Amino acid sequence: MKTTTLKKLSCIGLAVSMLSGFVACNKNTEEETSSEATTIPDQIETTEDPDANLPYTYGLGKTFHADQPVTYTMFFSDASWYPMVDTWKTEGIFKEIENRTNVTLDIKSYDSGDYMDNITLDINAGNAAYIIPKIYDDSAFVDGGAIVPISDYVDKMPYYTDFYNTYNLADDIKTITRANGKYYKLPGMKEANLINYSFVIRKDIWDAAGVDVVELQKDWDWAEFLDALQKVKKYMVAQGMCSESDYIWSDLWCGNESGQGSGGNLLGVMGSTYEVNAGWNIGNGMRYDQASDKYIFSPTTDNFKQFVTTANSFVAAGILDPETFTQDDATATAKYYSGKTAIMSINQGQWANYEENMTAQLGAGNFENYVITIPVGTTNNSTVAPERLENGVMISQKALDELGEDGFIQMLRFVDWLFYSHEAYDLTKWGIEGVHYDVVDGQKVLKDGFCCGGLGYGNDAEGSMTDIRLQWGYAGGNFWYGGTVAEMTDNLIPPVADYVNRDAEYRDTPPLAPGIAPTADQNEEINLIATPLISNVNSWTLKFITGQEDINAKWDEYVKSCEDLNAQGLVDIYAQLYKGK
Amino acid sequence: MSNLEKSTPEFKVEEIHIHNRKNKIKESTGYKVFTVVNTIIMILIAFATLYPFLYLVSQSFSSKEAIIAGHTSLIPKGFNIDTYIYVIKGQHNNYEFLRYYGNTILYTVIGTVLSLFFSCMLAYPLSKNKLKINRFLSPFVIFTMYFGGGLIANYVLILKLELKDTMWGFILPMLISTYYVILMRSFFMNIPKDLEEAGEIDGLNKFGVFWHIARPLSTPIIATMTLFYAVMYWNNWFNAKLYLQDKKKWPVAYYLQTIIRGGGGASDPDAEQMSANIKSCAMVLTVLPIICVYPFIQRYYVQGMMLGGVKE
Amino acid sequence: MSKKKENQEQIQQELQEEILEEVQDEAVAEWSPKQITRRKRALKDFRVNWQLYLMVIVPVIYYVIFRYVPMFGNILAFRKYNSGGSIFGTGPLTLKYFKQFITSKPFWQAFSNTLILNGLYLIVRFPLTLIFALLINEIRNLHWKKFVQTVSYLPHFISMVIVCGMIKELLSTSGPINALIASWGGEKIPFISLAQWFRTIFVTSGVWQSLGWGTILYLAAMTGINPSLYEAATVDGASHFQKVIHVTIPCILPTIATLLILDIGGLVGSGGAFEKVYLLGNPMTAETSEIVSTYVYKMGVESGNMNFATAVGLFEGLINLILLTCANVVSRKVAKTSLW
Repeated sequence: MKTTTLKKLSCIGLAVSMLSGFVACNKNTEEETSSEATTIPDQIETTEDPDANLPYTYGLGKTFHADQPVTYTMFFSDASWYPMVDTWKTEGIFKEIENRTNVTLDIKSYDSGDYMDNITLDINAGNAAYIIPKIYDDSAFVDGGAIVPISDYVDKMPYYTDFYNTYNLADDIKTITRANGKYYKLPGMKEANLINYSFVIRKDIWDAAGVDVVELQKDWDWAEFLDALQKVKKYMVAQGMCSESDYIWSDLWCGNESGQGSGGNLLGVMGSTYEVNAGWNIGNGMRYDQASDKYIFSPTTDNFKQFVTTANSFVAAGILDPETFTQDDATATAKYYSGKTAIMSINQGQWANYEENMTAQLGAGNFENYVITIPVGTTNNSTVAPERLENGVMISQKALDELGEDGFIQMLRFVDWLFYSHEAYDLTKWGIEGVHYDVVDGQKVLKDGFCCGGLGYGNDAEGSMTDIRLQWGYAGGNFWYGGTVAEMTDNLIPPVADYVNRDAEYRDTPPLAPGIAPTADQNEEINLIATPLISNVNSWTLKFITGQEDINAKWDEYVKSCEDLNAQGLVDIYAQLYKGK
Repeated sequence: MSNLEKSTPEFKVEEIHIHNRKNKIKESTGYKVFTVVNTIIMILIAFATLYPFLYLVSQSFSSKEAIIAGHTSLIPKGFNIDTYIYVIKGQHNNYEFLRYYGNTILYTVIGTVLSLFFSCMLAYPLSKNKLKINRFLSPFVIFTMYFGGGLIANYVLILKLELKDTMWGFILPMLISTYYVILMRSFFMNIPKDLEEAGEIDGLNKFGVFWHIARPLSTPIIATMTLFYAVMYWNNWFNAKLYLQDKKKWPVAYYLQTIIRGGGGASDPDAEQMSANIKSCAMVLTVLPIICVYPFIQRYYVQGMMLGGVKE
Repeated sequence: MSKKKENQEQIQQELQEEILEEVQDEAVAEWSPKQITRRKRALKDFRVNWQLYLMVIVPVIYYVIFRYVPMFGNILAFRKYNSGGSIFGTGPLTLKYFKQFITSKPFWQAFSNTLILNGLYLIVRFPLTLIFALLINEIRNLHWKKFVQTVSYLPHFISMVIVCGMIKELLSTSGPINALIASWGGEKIPFISLAQWFRTIFVTSGVWQSLGWGTILYLAAMTGINPSLYEAATVDGASHFQKVIHVTIPCILPTIATLLILDIGGLVGSGGAFEKVYLLGNPMTAETSEIVSTYVYKMGVESGNMNFATAVGLFEGLINLILLTCANVVSRKVAKTSLW
């Protein structure tokens, strides 16, 4: 009796929801009108407003300043290892921005681990902030209509255009352009790509083991690199620093957390020397193949097989810890700091941190760190990404709707200043000149009493210095990326600058892939295919590498599993998209 | 752990009434063996249940170095309370952990009180079979246990109600748990009817009957529900993730989740992981109040579950 | 017999009395019982019970707003959603999203994982809980009994975040389990990242969490057993073990049946599994760990395919609803108990 009521009720519920659907159905819908496809110009002409009576000052070389105080909302990715605190707003970075521009940023911050989830929810629910920074992949948003196609407005942005024109970024920008000829995020732009991720080694141990890394690295391949590591391990075992069953390479950024199950940094780096997408760079697996002038699904290529074979050889030889792909980053760093392992991943920002921790544990002078040039796979190209673009900023449609065209353009000019002017770059990265840093012989140096892990300035042993990042939010990941080479290298301390230079010297610059521009529907299709397909690739890749599955015996089965998940579908979409060029 | 074994009470085989003499002798030897085996099994189960907690406690008092070196015993190595001080003080010495803790306490207290109140309001009328509306109300309520609107719809609702980033955004989505309401309803159904009728004869109205007669008789279920709701609020982190954007409003469970999970992965490669002793320490601090409270309400929730009559 | 059954009987009895009573009441008022209209009954019902109706108003409003209104969001399973646009979508109704997931392999994998995980968990947990309850029931020392019970209830109250945090600590390669394996000369196993271990971990930790809690109802049913049944068995010369088989188990059979049926009904639902898989699973274990609810989350929130996710969610909800309704009907028929 009651159950029938229940059934009735559920039917009613369904019927009502259906009905409301039909009713709302009559309201006509705006299909994505890809009217005239704007092409990406090589040089953007800036449009100056003839009307000089703007309620704000702006322009190349000028500081944006609004006559009346304004407030813009902005999402913010809050990192738990330097969490935002009130002082950032009351005396730190946001206050200083306000002082200079009369703009108050109303920060809606989310924990960095949940940032993408939460802003996706917000944007989808129509609750987006005006300014949405720290966006790597914008494809989930472009067809929803919640994000402004920013390419329509870039001519209003003097700093952006200036950088774009000076360093000829048109081809790079084409890689993020959509089918309608527009792009939706303001990317971080770089004059040139500099190597960031590499491996740090314990040079003292390597030297003692008789490995001349400085000479070797110029053109070593992965096999030679493995030989070298085996020598090092032999030495370490002989010296009693570890036992035969221990691994001397237990890496970070590859575990579940940072590596997101893809093998993270290590596989990304190694894969790119084999011209395949892997690890952090897996994306949707599609990669432009220079030789055949086609887009191919790289995880099933022979190169990929070579790459996993190589990676597996390190595990099989007892060098690389299979735990690398699951462990916490802290576990990995702890092993390296304490001298249990002799090699680990590094990026530019981590040098000071490593040195500081190792000095504390091993004592100064008892170790020597050295960043190596990455071994060569099938190509001598550097592992840096060819696109000179970084994560970027999206602007929500809400801003345009609520501020009106003029107010919107005013905001854009503020965004332009904040993300593309040299002044704002220095401010967000280094703090206030004369207060936090000085320029000595053209080099920026933090003043006494300040430190900043993110800039490579470690704290002293007593921790008596003030960290400008922790305290005031400078040098945070939401603002500075990209820029000119001078800007990008202004915080590089000699050992880091050294490996950046070596990479540029010994390795070639990778070619840029031609841009493709999927439509909204194609994007959805790509997304639907890629999500499960890439999980499958990742899980097989890691099994191959850690030796859980035999590469030669199971390779065909793996390729088959990718085919079953419609890898061909991706290739077809890309073929359709690319042949048009 | 040795403490536990020491505290194990001596096992006494109680005499059972057995008439057949021959049987009695046979039975008691067999039974004695069984009881010994049974006791051992129970000790093992108790140990297995407690082990993870003891392990956490041990880790939280151990030094970072010892943990890295692979220290896994139940006795802390390099005993120190620095980790606790660090966790409580926080990176900025702003005692943020205590703030999250305070938030959790606030949400738990307010949420539990409101949840209890409204659950009673719903469960009591539902327990009255003669109430006509229940033919409709019961399925109306129960239907929601199995069918919902999905994440986006719920999120939009909270946004439209302007509850996002407020305490209510955290509390209201879980204010009334249908499952708990059903437990309560079953309990209320067991309240002797003559008592309620006697109340009515004494001139109490329906609400008065509930308040002066049913409620005092329902201590077990109310105590049970207090515990259940409190635990629910205490442990919830997902609502906080969705609806509490301002860090100052976070409950401790969500903070704990961000610690345990660590950094943001590929998008933030310079993320730093918290070490195991910090994680353990935060977990111990978070779980402590529950461990301290639940045994004292045991009598009630056993009774409450018993009469509530359904299982999760 | 069990308390529950008694209750049931009592309630039925009450019901009959009530009807009788009502009829008499109305008869007094109207003088002709045959002509009582429904409306009048309802009116009377309201007049007598208006305070009860008053009580439910706020909760009912709550249910409408927080439970029923969001259900309209399910329309997105049929219509295109533009972010920030109408929550009911735009454009014509379509079954495209259903077609998409019905033909998608990962969905069926998630679906079968859900069944497998829930099924395994049920198969393992159910008998263990029953045995544990029987064993507890045999403990004669009350203090010891209470201690065992108290300890075994503990995991039920622990937040999933902490449970999963503990699992990760215990199973990490530097954790105690691997230390034990290593001390026996075995190879360390990275449990958390191996797909073939996920089910074991899921089930074992699930049993750890629920073993004690699950016994409450059995123990309750056991205390309700009439002692004279045992005495009679003793007179017949039954051994202790025989008494368990012939008295205890038959007496708690209705409880066993109810719980089993309801559990089977919940096989497709995610229950507490979402949180656990969300916190414990990772891409490396996806082939065994991905369940429908985490799949919905992944497609909807992480990849922004709202329509697709809604369609899958709706499908899951419907299957769930059907199964549980069936389970409840069966439970009522077989065991004379039901959830509603």
